[in-house]
Amino acid sequence: MIVRLLAVAAAALALAGPAAACAHPKTSLPYLEGQIMCPTCHTTLDQSDSAAARAIEAQIAKRIDECWSAKQIEDELVGNFGQGILAAPPHKGFDLLAWWLPLGGVIGGAGMLAFGVWRWSRTREPDVGEPAVELDAETERRVDEALARLD
Amino acid sequence: MTRPLKLTAQALALAAVAGLLALLVWRLTHQQHAPKVGAAAPGFTLSMLSGPGSIDLAALRGKPVVLNFWASWCGPCKSEAPVLEQAWQRYRKQGVAFVGVDYHDVAGDARRFVSAHGLTFPMVEDGSGDVTSGRYGVSQVPETYVVGRTGKIVVHIAGPITSGSFADEFRRAVAAAIRS
Repeated sequence: MIVRLLAVAAAALALAGPAAACAHPKTSLPYLEGQIMCPTCHTTLDQSDSAAARAIEAQIAKRIDECWSAKQIEDELVGNFGQGILAAPPHKGFDLLAWWLPLGGVIGGAGMLAFGVWRWSRTREPDVGEPAVELDAETERRVDEALARLD
Repeated sequence: MTRPLKLTAQALALAAVAGLLALLVWRLTHQQHAPKVGAAAPGFTLSMLSGPGSIDLAALRGKPVVLNFWASWCGPCKSEAPVLEQAWQRYRKQGVAFVGVDYHDVAGDARRFVSAHGLTFPMVEDGSGDVTSGRYGVSQVPETYVVGRTGKIVVHIAGPITSGSFADEFRRAVAAAIRS
């Protein structure tokens, strides 16, 4: 009886491993591969085949299997490798500049372009078309007669 | 465009170009290079890989120090590990300090590596690589520095100390560091 119970317990333990894998993962490896840098090659993980990148991917896959969220995984990697492991800079402190400077550049550029167009449109010569031709008296009389015939 | 506006735009463009030029010069002058043999070993304080505490290189002044940079994902580090452990067991009796610096590594993998290879000398972690690549200019692991009692670099071996010429160089450097 005891032997049978032990066998059942052993079988349950053996099955517990695979069953512990996350049924509904909170994030995916392809997503995080685009968010995390390979520290030795300075590209994102999805563009790297280095040994360091593969080791980090294995760690991420392990955490996904343990149902960790993307934020939790990123926090752990930052704790291990520092902020440089993130492909995108954080949205706080001095790093905010990395987000706002390009946006400021685009807005500033658009503003300058709009201003240039406005200035250009104002300084252009007015389009007055062909200059009016003065008709002599004889031609004017003929035109009047022709117009009168049309009426 | 009015004259003041044109001048302002030109000044802004000039400032932008000057800024980019300054950035380029800064990058060129601040590129990391490996410290030269005979120069002082760059100082650092790094946390222990396992357990609390840290190691400050300055605290080891007066002892010859073998600094080995490694990572668990590095193939040659695996073959180098037992040789380093043997060297540590041999030289520790002569007062040589060994410090392993784990570089750009997942901490769990690094601890498993240490355990699997039975490494007993002190290990610190440099996950960000600030010390390893930033101060020691290491880009490929393993690399080893032997530092003399005065804190000056005796040798820099850019490769595993297991390979023929590097093994001899390592032995000679440690002997020189002990004598220093």
